[in-house]
Amino acid sequence: MNDRKKLSLTSSLLIGLSAVCIVISMFFPWWKMVFYAPQYPEGLNIIVYPNKLEGQIDIINGLNHYIGMSNFGEENFPELSYLIYLIGGLAVLTLITAMLRNKKLLYGLIGIFVIGGAAGVLDLHFALKNYGTNLSPEAPIKIDPFVPPIIGENTVANFVTHSQLGTGVYFVIAAFLLLLIPLWKDRKR
Amino acid sequence: MKKWIPIASGLLAGFIAATISFADFSSNSKTETASANNKSDAEKVYVPFGKKDDYYLFASGGHSGQMFIYGVPSMRKIRTIPVFSPDSATGYGFDEHSKKLMGGYTWGDLHHPALSETKGDYDGKWMFATDVGNSRAAVVDLKTFTTKDIIKVPNTAGPHCAAFVTENTEYMFLPTRFAVPLGQKYEKLDDYSSKYRGVMSAVTFDEKNVKLNIAYQVALPPWSYDLSDAGKKSSKDWAVMTTYNTEEATTTMEVKASQADRDYIVLFNWKELAKMVKDGQYEEVNGQKMIFPEKQKGGIYLVPVAKSPHGVDVTPDGKYFIASGKLAPAMTVFSFEKAFKAVQNKEFSGERNGIPILKYESVMEREVNPENALGPLHTQFDDKGMAYTTMFISSEIVKWDPKTGKTLDRVPVQYSPGHSVSAEGDTVAPDGKWLIALNKIAKDSYLSVGPSHPESMQLIDISGKMKIIQSVPVDPEPHYAQMIKADKIKTIEVYPKDPNNKDAVYNQKDTKIVRKGNEVHVYGIAMRSRFVFEAKAKRPDVIEVNQGDHVFIHLTNIDFDEDITHGFAINDYDLNMEVQPGQTNTMEFTADKAGTFPLYCTNFCSALHQEMNGYFLVKPKQ
Repeated sequence: MNDRKKLSLTSSLLIGLSAVCIVISMFFPWWKMVFYAPQYPEGLNIIVYPNKLEGQIDIINGLNHYIGMSNFGEENFPELSYLIYLIGGLAVLTLITAMLRNKKLLYGLIGIFVIGGAAGVLDLHFALKNYGTNLSPEAPIKIDPFVPPIIGENTVANFVTHSQLGTGVYFVIAAFLLLLIPLWKDRKR
Repeated sequence: MKKWIPIASGLLAGFIAATISFADFSSNSKTETASANNKSDAEKVYVPFGKKDDYYLFASGGHSGQMFIYGVPSMRKIRTIPVFSPDSATGYGFDEHSKKLMGGYTWGDLHHPALSETKGDYDGKWMFATDVGNSRAAVVDLKTFTTKDIIKVPNTAGPHCAAFVTENTEYMFLPTRFAVPLGQKYEKLDDYSSKYRGVMSAVTFDEKNVKLNIAYQVALPPWSYDLSDAGKKSSKDWAVMTTYNTEEATTTMEVKASQADRDYIVLFNWKELAKMVKDGQYEEVNGQKMIFPEKQKGGIYLVPVAKSPHGVDVTPDGKYFIASGKLAPAMTVFSFEKAFKAVQNKEFSGERNGIPILKYESVMEREVNPENALGPLHTQFDDKGMAYTTMFISSEIVKWDPKTGKTLDRVPVQYSPGHSVSAEGDTVAPDGKWLIALNKIAKDSYLSVGPSHPESMQLIDISGKMKIIQSVPVDPEPHYAQMIKADKIKTIEVYPKDPNNKDAVYNQKDTKIVRKGNEVHVYGIAMRSRFVFEAKAKRPDVIEVNQGDHVFIHLTNIDFDEDITHGFAINDYDLNMEVQPGQTNTMEFTADKAGTFPLYCTNFCSALHQEMNGYFLVKPKQ
């Protein structure tokens, strides 16, 4: 009787796999922006990991000062100092769900995923908006404020930027899908 | 059942037709040659945008004191490396490091460049060169194509016969063109034979500290030493060099140094010389360990050779050395093996200045005398071991087989080639493909620029019958060159941060101006598009000093971005230097002139380069 309310063993394994995906995602970039210009056919990168920035940040900052954009840097993204712990916590929570095989807990977990995902997207959006619209009025080159998209192409002066999701996010999406499968599979339980 | 018949017959017919039209019944090599020949000369030298040349060419810049870098086969000039003379374009000779390297000299005569070698093959790490004008040797770092060290060589005057490196760059030898008294002190020319010497220096290179050092010197007889080469493989411990003026003439050399029918090739075993030095068989002369061949015997021999030879070149297999006669219209092939045997059996025909002379017949392999070829100067080799000799007087390149002496091909060049260089042509494994004639006279080749013309370099395709396919003007004066496969050279894109460099500042917030008495130390940065000397100052791009202050400007380019080089000049102070991406450079001078002097970036760096300036203010003395 008690066993009927529990998620099946397969589902438990899937959720466990989901936890593994989350852990793996922490080691890959989650998002990146590539800047191309006539002088930079090879492209300049901002690569965002859950806990650090990589790429040619100094060069991009050096160029951005011409349009009055503030500097990208780990110090401007406090998220980078704690995001890794949130993700780790989520992985632990997922693992607990897998072990307890409790359906309600799974609903809760999915809820956290949705809210966390939405918060992440909004956070990035506002950060990009902040960079693109809070341009210094003293900048030597004046351009109209802009908001770079989270995914897709944008043109600013001689630069064309390509924003794209990183490998880490794909692992998170996979983790999320793995959580949805038990809902369907164990729908009769 | 019958359906397959038309299909099969159709296929068969197709195969036969295809075989007849496309099949290649000839041998592979033949088709290749045919297709290479089908390429027009223009196509062979055309390197489209986005593609790069196959070879780097390092041409000596002669009395410009510089070295010129070209791409082969396009023959596009890529860079000038200042080595022995200051160069305002790069600030070479102005910044602290290069000013010290200059040692107060303002010109040099860069003769024979030599690439560093590992196992007799170019390793693409370092380039060496010598200065005939002011008796110096230099090393260029091929990660940055900049000169790193220069050494002044004492007791010698005009190391023309250099530089040549041994198989693993153990030594770079610097024999000299001019004989002078030791220490270059005053001596009467009447005492030439007894008081003058043609000192050869053995220079070592400390790769770790990027320092040139003199290991020892040899007080050779007062003759002129012209060209040289190190042995390879079985002859790797040996080296050879040509001499002229063994007549020991002291005036009107063009006549008096050309009297004797025979001059000599000096054959020496550098390992034996190094051992003699180690065993203390030398004398201390002006701080140098000097071997006197007439006293410290062994390791050095003379080989008689047709009059006033210019080049002597070792074949890629290391078995032979070929002397080019210059005034005798012949090349002489000598055998190392025979020479070693003659040394062992003491087959001497006498002695000159205490050095044993090997019997000519004991060492000579063959004399090669192509018909009407005059003034042979220098020989290069291809991948098959064939020799290419420049003929200065008959103005041509002659291709011949060192094993048979047979002339294989010849091509006229415009005009009067001194040296030539083939692809990796003086290594143990030449590439063939290309040969470049370094011609002394261009005359009617290019648009006229008045009575004097540039020199010329002609690219010759040597993959089949020799053919000149390109001709480019070049500044004075390529004496010799080195051609190396492009992928052997690994350059850096930016200078890495050096946390140990006390003069470097990598964050504009850390910039500062420090005053110690009448010394002013500026720790500044250059970035697109401003200078920051003191971040906290009201005007961070201004340096203010008192008249008479000793000023040190340490400037770091914090644009770690390929090709974003900044310049730094102070107007009317006759100062300009360069900071490459990531590099820190220092300018040191005395602010002896009071007044207001704009300072600015000289190397166009960005759209706001024109705004990259500030002021250098010198308060007058009260």
